[in-house]
Amino acid sequence: MVKLLIDGRPVETLEGATILKAAQDAGIAIPHFCYHEAFPPEGSCRVCLVEIEGMPKLDLACSTVVREGQKIRTTGDRVLQARRAVLEFLLTEHPLDCPICDKAGECKLQDYCLDAGLTVNAFSEIREKREKKLVIADKLLLDRERCILCSRCVRFLRQVTGTRELGLFERGVGTQIDLYEGQPVANNYSGNLVDICPVGAITDTDFRFKTRPWFLEARPTICPLCSRGCSMWADYHPGFPRVAGSARIYRFRPRLNPEVNGHWICDVGRYGAMALETDRLSELRWVKGPSHAELSWDQTMDMLAAKLRGLKTGGAMDRAAIVLNSRLTSEELFLAKKIFHEDLGAGRIVFADPTDGAADDLLLRADRTPNRQAASRLGFSYQGDLAAALRGASFVWIFGANREALEPVRRLSAALQAVPTKVLSAPQSTGLEPFMDFVLPTASVFEKAGSFANGDGWDQEFLPVHPPCGNARAEEGLLIDLGRALGFDPEFYAALDGPRAVARALRSAHPQFGGGR
Amino acid sequence: MSRDTRLLPVDFETADLRRLAVYEARGGYSAARDALTGKSPAGIMDEVKAASLRGRGGAGFPAGLKWSFIPKGDEKPKYLCVNADEGEPGTFKDKYILGHNPHLLIEGIILACYAVGIHAAYIYIRGEYEMIARRLEEAIAEAAAAGCLGRQAFGTEFALDVFVHRGAGAYVCGEETALLESLEGKRGWPRLKPPFPAVVGLFQCPTVINNVETLANLPVIVRDGAAAFINRGKPKDGGARLFGVSGAVIRPGLYELPVGTKLREIIFSHAGGLRPGRSLQAVIPGGMSSPVLKADEIDVAMDFDSLAAAGSMLGSAGIIVIDDEASLIGVLEKIASFYARESCGQCTPCRLGTSWMAKTVERLAAGEGRPAELDGLARIASNIKGRTLCPLGDAAAMPIQALLSKFRPELEAEIGRAAKGRG
Amino acid sequence: MSAGLSDALKVRITGLSGRYPRKQAALLPVLHAVQEELGCVTVEAERDVAALLGIKPIQVREAVTFYTMFRRTPVGRYHLQVCDNLSCGLRGSGTVLARLCRKLGIAPGQTTPDGKFTLTTVECLGNCENAPCLMVNFDYHGNIDPDALDRILDGLA
Repeated sequence: MVKLLIDGRPVETLEGATILKAAQDAGIAIPHFCYHEAFPPEGSCRVCLVEIEGMPKLDLACSTVVREGQKIRTTGDRVLQARRAVLEFLLTEHPLDCPICDKAGECKLQDYCLDAGLTVNAFSEIREKREKKLVIADKLLLDRERCILCSRCVRFLRQVTGTRELGLFERGVGTQIDLYEGQPVANNYSGNLVDICPVGAITDTDFRFKTRPWFLEARPTICPLCSRGCSMWADYHPGFPRVAGSARIYRFRPRLNPEVNGHWICDVGRYGAMALETDRLSELRWVKGPSHAELSWDQTMDMLAAKLRGLKTGGAMDRAAIVLNSRLTSEELFLAKKIFHEDLGAGRIVFADPTDGAADDLLLRADRTPNRQAASRLGFSYQGDLAAALRGASFVWIFGANREALEPVRRLSAALQAVPTKVLSAPQSTGLEPFMDFVLPTASVFEKAGSFANGDGWDQEFLPVHPPCGNARAEEGLLIDLGRALGFDPEFYAALDGPRAVARALRSAHPQFGGGR
Repeated sequence: MSRDTRLLPVDFETADLRRLAVYEARGGYSAARDALTGKSPAGIMDEVKAASLRGRGGAGFPAGLKWSFIPKGDEKPKYLCVNADEGEPGTFKDKYILGHNPHLLIEGIILACYAVGIHAAYIYIRGEYEMIARRLEEAIAEAAAAGCLGRQAFGTEFALDVFVHRGAGAYVCGEETALLESLEGKRGWPRLKPPFPAVVGLFQCPTVINNVETLANLPVIVRDGAAAFINRGKPKDGGARLFGVSGAVIRPGLYELPVGTKLREIIFSHAGGLRPGRSLQAVIPGGMSSPVLKADEIDVAMDFDSLAAAGSMLGSAGIIVIDDEASLIGVLEKIASFYARESCGQCTPCRLGTSWMAKTVERLAAGEGRPAELDGLARIASNIKGRTLCPLGDAAAMPIQALLSKFRPELEAEIGRAAKGRG
Repeated sequence: MSAGLSDALKVRITGLSGRYPRKQAALLPVLHAVQEELGCVTVEAERDVAALLGIKPIQVREAVTFYTMFRRTPVGRYHLQVCDNLSCGLRGSGTVLARLCRKLGIAPGQTTPDGKFTLTTVECLGNCENAPCLMVNFDYHGNIDPDALDRILDGLA
């Protein structure tokens, strides 16, 4: 350990730590642009210059290793003057775009200039003219006037993806970042470029001009699009009171998790997660019943429970088809097993999951479901012949989470038509709604609490990002009500009386669950 | 055998010193042969340290000391990079060594590599010296054919290969870490130090980088000893130097003189002084990056310490003489535009500061500014100095600061006249 | 679609890259050789060089655009490069440049319509003792006065 003083405060840190890291650990933030935790120090932006007592020049905090007994100042006239000078240099060629720039509100240049009290631009020469809207990827734009040449994007594409789509060309003040022969950034991690750009030079067209960061709240969540289970932030707008439908998630960003995804998330997850919030089913529907406005969840659960009890008594449950999916939480899968397998004895429990995709050598896994591990721990066979399950079924209940995974079911619509009672519970429209007797709107992953067991076997808990849309509800609550209404094991369901009750029941019944991260 | 201690013979043009036979006839390669066959590497290094040989590229770092930073016992191969980039304006000395006396350089390379334990040397020569690079290749081939290089140099177990590597027009590649990046086939963006090239250099291996003239002094040191070398110059700054004189003098050229010779003597006795009727306005003593001296400051001795004490630097000993015919705002413009064009662009203060200074000076020189704007210019320069990733930022700031502080009234008058001229 | 480098040049490039423990290090000497043969570094040449040195074409272009001696478009048969730096400026490089512009009818950065001359300004060539200095392709010409200039241009076929 090394002991030193930073701004008069005694700090103790590991040997080999940089001034920046030591200060960060002590709660002192030193401005920096080009430095990023994921890469070795670059030392080019020069904004992190600090004063080490006894040294003639200022030193870089990002790359200078601390020594025992050093006295370091991160503020004071000399340091602040140097910092202001660097910021002033950046402003000479940086356009005053804040009113139309997506990054305003979360822009480091803006923040540092405000902190430094830099409000007047002393530059009165002619600025370099640069391209402002270069399309560099399917969803990315590069504004070269705003670029401060921190080179994080170039280094990311060099060191993380190895794809090098962006390069540094020309020299001096004419230096610019560009593609090669217009070949776009086309890898599965391009979205991270927006996050690492400290200013609004690289922006996301999905997010462009849609909202302002100060309206958004960062809420932690887990990506459900493959078995990696990357940690993410969902930036959620709680909505304006007088604007209907204004509450929504605007974007997803990586959340640092050294053990699972490090600093990044992939594009499949980042943009796929946004797609999970579209085309929502929000109202209960009973095709044969009165208008849906009058149908309630209680009524629905009573009707379904009665139906299922009848089938069990009549010995028809062995031909009941329950189609589950691996995007259900561990708690929901546990309840589904209890109800459909143990209590009702349904004979045909199958899974409709998306087929494996191509894995990449970074984060994306071939298994495109978040919770297959839980399904296997619970003893489900997640394969299953859907056609065989539906042929001559007495009842079908499809828990549809994945639209594309239900494609095979759509092709079996003839078999489906022949089933006497058909229930669909799903968060998004699946194309099966016209064939169903009951359509139950369920919560998206971001509207639920629960846990997923990722491909490495780690259980990751998550909370809802926002309340369910319309009349949708999480399968967990729906299944508890169904279980109660069925009446087969009242003690079990009576015990499920609080927020984490199902999780506790799951862990006591199956101790492999609970190795959390 | 001739005991000429000079690096260059008086008669540059006709001496065929490039030919191995002529070079050897004058005593060439005797120092290298004696060293490899009879002296220890440590002994050579000690001799060079004792000789107070300071780097001749600009920074003046003691050569023997630099060599001693190479870690002992490292398994990685070591490299010598010869800095023949010669980009400092006003400097043209290495051109002569490379083109007229290449075997002197090769012999110096052999001695340096032997002392440090290096078996591969790359000569990074500026791209514009195309013909000289070809001559250098020829000399190397000749030396290799004669057994001075190769697997068994001079018949010993010491192996050494020397390669010529051409640059392509970037002043920044004269900075040692930018040179390494360029030699590795990349853009010449300097590296963060530490780590220093002696530990992590070319291809991540320990590397020595020495200027051409520095290496060219090694044969004479090894042959005649450190004491003789020091006696030619000054105690902490030994030997002689190739002083280049250019600008408003009668006889611009290269003058080999002892370290410590007075600047006045070089300009007026050797370079013939000024044209009739002209008077001295200013002198840049050590290449464009060195702070300018006024006419009454030229009694300074041309060695590192004396010039540092006078607020300037010996640098590459490229003396540029400015007489009263020159417009100082024009001089300022040349300086500012050079650094703006040569800035590599990597770090904020240099990339944006040099461009800002150049644009400002251009506007002032064109009569579109006010004299008071020189305050702003001085502020930009002081914001660059000491804040950049490599010394190019300082090299841009210091000459401009010096001109502003020593010639402010003259510059203001010129700016005012230019503005009036535009009406 | 490899309309890039001749076989002889490819052999030369392989030879150059053998002088270094990493092939990429040969890039600058290789680009000089390419430019010698093709007049400039074309897109095809970037691709071929990259393949021979085990790097990506973008890395070749990053270098080409950094170093002033490399060109992506050809220049005239004679590239007239006037040093515009301090020592040459003190000895009349401005006059040399103005005279060349007048004689050839072009501005710095341009090429004569017949493709014979391209005129550019360059930074210090290391020929200050012979200022003002002009480099024609790679040939240094020093002490340029108006007569010398005429003689040089006339001598260029």
